Amino acid sequence: MTILDEREGSRETAVNPKLERRARRRDAWRGFFHAAPAFLYLTLFFTLPLIIVFVFSFASRGRTGRPLLEAWNIDSWTRLFEPLVRTIAVRSFWLAVLNTALCLLVGYPFAYWIATRRKQATRNILLVAVLIPFWSNFLVRTYAWRMLLDSDGYITQFGEMTGLWGRLLFTVPAVFLGLLYGYLPFMVLPLYAAIERLDWSLVEAGRDLYASGAAAFRRITLPLSRPGIIAGSILVFIPSLGAYVTPDILGGAKTTLLGNYIVTQFGAARNWPFGSSISGAILIVMLAVTVFYFRSGGRTL
Amino acid sequence: MDGQAAVTLTGVTKKFGEEVTAVDDVDLEIRDGEFFSLLGPSGCGKTTTLRMIAGLEFPTDGSVQIFGEEMGLRPPNKRPVNTVFQSYALFPHMNVEQNVGFGLRMQKVEPSEIARRVAEAIDLVRLSGMEKRAPNALSGGQQQRVALARALVNRPKVLLLDEPLGALDLKLRQTMQLELKDIQHEVGITFVYVTHDQEEALTMSDRIAVMNEGKLAQVGMPEEIYGSPVSLFVAGFVGDMFFLPGEVAEAGAVRLAGGQIVRAKTSSSPGTAVTLTLRPEMIHLYASSSELPPDRNTLDGTIARKIFYGDSMFYEVDVGVVGSFDVRVENAPSMRRWEVGDSVVIDFHPESATALAE
Repeated sequence: MTILDEREGSRETAVNPKLERRARRRDAWRGFFHAAPAFLYLTLFFTLPLIIVFVFSFASRGRTGRPLLEAWNIDSWTRLFEPLVRTIAVRSFWLAVLNTALCLLVGYPFAYWIATRRKQATRNILLVAVLIPFWSNFLVRTYAWRMLLDSDGYITQFGEMTGLWGRLLFTVPAVFLGLLYGYLPFMVLPLYAAIERLDWSLVEAGRDLYASGAAAFRRITLPLSRPGIIAGSILVFIPSLGAYVTPDILGGAKTTLLGNYIVTQFGAARNWPFGSSISGAILIVMLAVTVFYFRSGGRTL
Repeated sequence: MDGQAAVTLTGVTKKFGEEVTAVDDVDLEIRDGEFFSLLGPSGCGKTTTLRMIAGLEFPTDGSVQIFGEEMGLRPPNKRPVNTVFQSYALFPHMNVEQNVGFGLRMQKVEPSEIARRVAEAIDLVRLSGMEKRAPNALSGGQQQRVALARALVNRPKVLLLDEPLGALDLKLRQTMQLELKDIQHEVGITFVYVTHDQEEALTMSDRIAVMNEGKLAQVGMPEEIYGSPVSLFVAGFVGDMFFLPGEVAEAGAVRLAGGQIVRAKTSSSPGTAVTLTLRPEMIHLYASSSELPPDRNTLDGTIARKIFYGDSMFYEVDVGVVGSFDVRVENAPSMRRWEVGDSVVIDFHPESATALAE
């Protein structure tokens, strides 16, 4: 067999291995071009800064607070084990756990209700309603909450009128009100997706096999909506762990959480290396949580 | 079969909204120990009827009784029946054993008793050794058996089956048909079987209810349904059938479109427009009517087409305005062969032809 000229590969057969390989490579490149804008953007403004943060976490702090890269050490990482950091981390952790639990408790029945509406149109309207808060900025919405919870706000006035509560602003309940408000949609949406694709004949089979309504829910509906529960919990837990705006504006920044502690390091304390190491540590924890999610059988978020 | 009623439906009607009447005033008595089929095309209300017996759907009107007990609005978990669902509805988060034991666990049966009965049920459907498998690691036929075991393990008074073999391929379906019938014999409980497959209904059932547009079209034993359909719908839905338009000439005789008068079973009065129904297997071909005894019905025709099928020959016989007949003749050495253009005589026994009015 003669060696075929590449351009005239059709001399003996229309396609030969060489041409097929080239076609495949062209295809791969075409795919990359589609992804290129996002790829470049993320590399420049996400991956690169992340690497910078990571690198700075090994720098030492100069006398004026300037990070010195040439005198690198792991002091900032060892500082993570100081009691103060641990206290703040534990506090943030519990705040995130509690908020996740609250969102799940409030969000599950709601998602279930939406997902079980007979008409697709009704379900769509309700889902859009869940997303309406995103039409305005998170910060603006949090300030709106501040007005509601302040001394002359409606919620405080109602509480004082009924004698149930006083001024809520700058209290722990205010922080949770704000967090629940902010993150509830992130819980409802994946739960909705999971419940909506549930095979209801399984629930019917359960009822047919002597399960009461409650038993069928506990034994069938709940375990089968687990992917949604896990996805929603991660989507709420991760941002709650680093929550900064809500505790700051509604909680009055009275208690230090990881979020504002990091801000302090980069700002007032002028300790970039330490701020970087805390940020890095949180990232690693979140990564671990996410990996756990995918390992435990979760699917698309 | 002691004749006691296992399930009694009285005036059962189910409406979905204002417009849709899925089941329309159905009266039905299913006897104890019977293999009873609800047969009909999709949307005829057979599945809805089954679901009302199960309690998965409540009737809009009427009464459902199980062994004389009024079910009313009783939820499915409080009814002495179990269902084998169309798509099996096996719990994906439980293995075979857990699936089968689910009903007993819900009934708070002793764990040792559960273990014993689950093993028994798994053995009954020949799935021993698969106890720890997940449902999605099983083949369609095996899943079907798990669904069956999961229902039977509870020893229901009535087992409801909603097109349980619909998802299986032909070969497996035929095997499972026999197996289901054997299992029913073995456990001796009443089976109510929903299917759109008339052959399946005929081969398995003690009695069949043919449904159409929410109503009962005919209830009877397979032989009756097949041999003496009461309406054109039943005649057309169950088995293959030739339909020949005509009118009643006199009692027991029908005039066909070509003027030929043939004898047939009919209950209509002379002059009524009827359709003569005739089973293909009741038709035979001869060279001339002189070869036949005088009491037979004959029609003259010509061979229009022939196709070789291996085990049989297929002839299309043209009988002018009356229509054309597809006749299959088994290939035996003694069998006469015809060629296209040959004149033939179609023969059928008067008893095998039924004239039905619209």
